[in-house]
Amino acid sequence: MKKLLIAIISLLFAVTVNAQNRFPKPDFESGYQYPDITYQVPHETAWITVDIILLVLLMSIVAWATLKKRTHKPVVAVSIISVAYFGFFRSGCVCSIGSVQNIALALADDTYILPLSVLLFFILPVLFAFLFGRVFCAGVCPMGALQELVNLKNYKLSKTVTAMLRMTPWIYLIFAILYAVTRSSFIICRFDPFIGIFRMGGDLGLILFGALLLVAAVFTGRPFCRFLCPYGALLSLFAQVSIWKVQITKRPCINCELCHNACPVDAIKPPYDNKIKETRIKGVKRIVNYFIVFLPLMIFAGAVLMRSISSNLSRANKDVRLYDMVVQHESAPQDILSLELEAFYGQGGTIEALAEIYNGIQKDFRLYSTFAGALIGLVTGFTLIGLSVKRTRKQYEIDHANCVACGRCFEYCPQNSLKQNEL
Amino acid sequence: MTNNENKKSPIARRKFLQTLGSAVAGGAILSVSGGLMYRAKRQEATLYWQIDPQKCTQCGRCETHCVLPISAVKCIHANKVCGYCDLCGGYYRSNVKELNTAAENLMCPTGAIERQFVEDPYFEYTINESLCNGCGKCVKGCTSFGNGSLYLQIKRDLCKDCNECKIATVCASGAITRVAFDMAYQLKE
Repeated sequence: MKKLLIAIISLLFAVTVNAQNRFPKPDFESGYQYPDITYQVPHETAWITVDIILLVLLMSIVAWATLKKRTHKPVVAVSIISVAYFGFFRSGCVCSIGSVQNIALALADDTYILPLSVLLFFILPVLFAFLFGRVFCAGVCPMGALQELVNLKNYKLSKTVTAMLRMTPWIYLIFAILYAVTRSSFIICRFDPFIGIFRMGGDLGLILFGALLLVAAVFTGRPFCRFLCPYGALLSLFAQVSIWKVQITKRPCINCELCHNACPVDAIKPPYDNKIKETRIKGVKRIVNYFIVFLPLMIFAGAVLMRSISSNLSRANKDVRLYDMVVQHESAPQDILSLELEAFYGQGGTIEALAEIYNGIQKDFRLYSTFAGALIGLVTGFTLIGLSVKRTRKQYEIDHANCVACGRCFEYCPQNSLKQNEL
Repeated sequence: MTNNENKKSPIARRKFLQTLGSAVAGGAILSVSGGLMYRAKRQEATLYWQIDPQKCTQCGRCETHCVLPISAVKCIHANKVCGYCDLCGGYYRSNVKELNTAAENLMCPTGAIERQFVEDPYFEYTINESLCNGCGKCVKGCTSFGNGSLYLQIKRDLCKDCNECKIATVCASGAITRVAFDMAYQLKE
């Protein structure tokens, strides 16, 4: 028996790895039947339809509550539903924040076929932001809703620190798009801090980061939404020019400061009296100078800087890393191959074919890094210019780009609690 | 510029910028959604992550890199490809001394492969999916020494369909890609 075994084993080793059917199909005499195992693909269409309907419904509720009714309570209800359904039940994928990358990839690469559901997840909140402001952020986004629900205090950071931190979402967005269009990685999905909490498992570091953000969210409103969320940055553009805008009260502002204190995202700007009296024309000239001298300089510097490090950035791409490994192996062959090299040589890959892919990716990275750098320069420039512009305000005003339509200010405004006839 | 116009100008300018911004934003939404909608309808989208068994090199990362506590990748057994061998490369480790079910002889670390005698000399192998952790050790054995009837697939009922599959980012052979609905399982027959 033992000899037979050894004989069989040595025979097996002789056969090439790729050969199939080394052993013939057995001839069963006992009337053996092959077991019938079928693998079903659960059709997600029904759930995706529910997702989309719920998305529109919840955003409509928030829009109605904040624009028409001026109340906060429905937003809380929406937040709870969203955390329960989109967060814990549907466990996050695909979400609107991540869909930015799919859209960017679809726009840059014709061969990527975008699922319709992803397109809807991306475009519906943008459309609602364009119509009613950031009603998606208010409570429909499970991440925003989760932070909203734990928030108790609104400790405010200084204006400059806030302005600087608000650049991060933009830079995050730019890098996410850069890595998406070069088919390297979806960094928004990879570093999602809340998905581990919703799925109750996953990368420990990210879960800890998510927990830390939630602890921070108790003391200051929505740190993720304000200082990290790339989709929120995109929505803020549309919210700024939205057709209908949130108003704290229909009645005139009495400058009581209560709404400003209640706002968790620091989106209500206090009245400001400019101390430096600059003539109007002089002020305009100063701003124009910023825009025609300083801004292009920032854009150019950013573009040059990012282009110069494009080959380093490209190491996020798997094929680039593989190419480096192959080159290193060819120059100094090693006995023990890494798993990647084993797979590469096992599939009969050649360095020439890989080099072609590598060069294509490098070319893409050079082009897109330049654009990304220019955009980073633009964002930095705008932030700095924004800090230097001091606009005179007579009363409290909502900054619609940063307002997440949570509706907390309404109940604090004393003008809102007046009866209809008391005015 | 008269004095009167000068006074009115800031509001008018802001309003003009606002309208301009709205027009640009509306236009952007329409063009992006229109263009992508047109393309989305043209072809069936690839939504499902799946392993191509022809490319898979059983590196073992499916077991460790899935976002789920126990990987959604499971071993699948194609009975019609199987040789029903007594000395199964997927069931036994190489160089086993005795063909019994002692753990040191078995390839599967979790004992997920069940072996049943059919008739001399054939044995039927079945995967107990609840025990399988997707390590692919049996697959490696079967592919190197047998018919390749054991292979790894992502179980569609377990997979969370992450927007970026964490296993795909580390897959050594690039075998995990997004596929369309009719390709959601790549079964060997």
